[in-house]
Amino acid sequence: MSARSLLIASRRVGASLAQYIREVQAAHERYRARFATREARGVNLLREWLSPEQRAQFDAKRYFDVIGCDSGKRYRIHYGDITNVQEIGDDDQPSVGWCFLPEGRLVAGDVMLAQKIALETYEYSTLAVANRFPIRFSR
Amino acid sequence: MATQIVMDHTGDARHHFDATDREAVAKAEERFRQLTGAGFTAAVRTASGDAAVTRSFDPTAEETLFFPRLVGG
Repeated sequence: MSARSLLIASRRVGASLAQYIREVQAAHERYRARFATREARGVNLLREWLSPEQRAQFDAKRYFDVIGCDSGKRYRIHYGDITNVQEIGDDDQPSVGWCFLPEGRLVAGDVMLAQKIALETYEYSTLAVANRFPIRFSR
Repeated sequence: MATQIVMDHTGDARHHFDATDREAVAKAEERFRQLTGAGFTAAVRTASGDAAVTRSFDPTAEETLFFPRLVGG
């Protein structure tokens, strides 16, 4: 093979590689855009169902408090979808963490809304399936 | 228009129906039955704005939210 042929072949490989990289980058951007849209939809739905006080707290601090319907205890639901629920003690400090979430792959806003409704309407049944964890491991 | 909101991997899917349309109401009731039968929890908002879990289809509910069964994480 001549030097000229080698040069042409290497240029073709380079062009194909550049095209491949561009396609991978475009696919990554499309995925990011879709993920951002899904996340935003979840947050919008959550905000629609929060009380005015909870909405204000969430907008300011990225978490909101709910009162358990059975015990009257206060829980803090942080933005996220795992190990994001804390039980708040009388000293206004997190005392224990609770981990529970809906089955399937849901965005954070959806998970938080399900957690809120569960604690506000069937607290003890919810905690019965939840895993308790020491607060030192939580956020 | 009444709306059934079903949480899913896209955020949520919304199904609108006219509560005065018998065929649409029957379809919405069937969706309610299938989702709750599959373990979804159905919740509506009360007049005061609080969420309440419901186990029966209410065609007059403005919004009904469905989320999957809760499990320990």
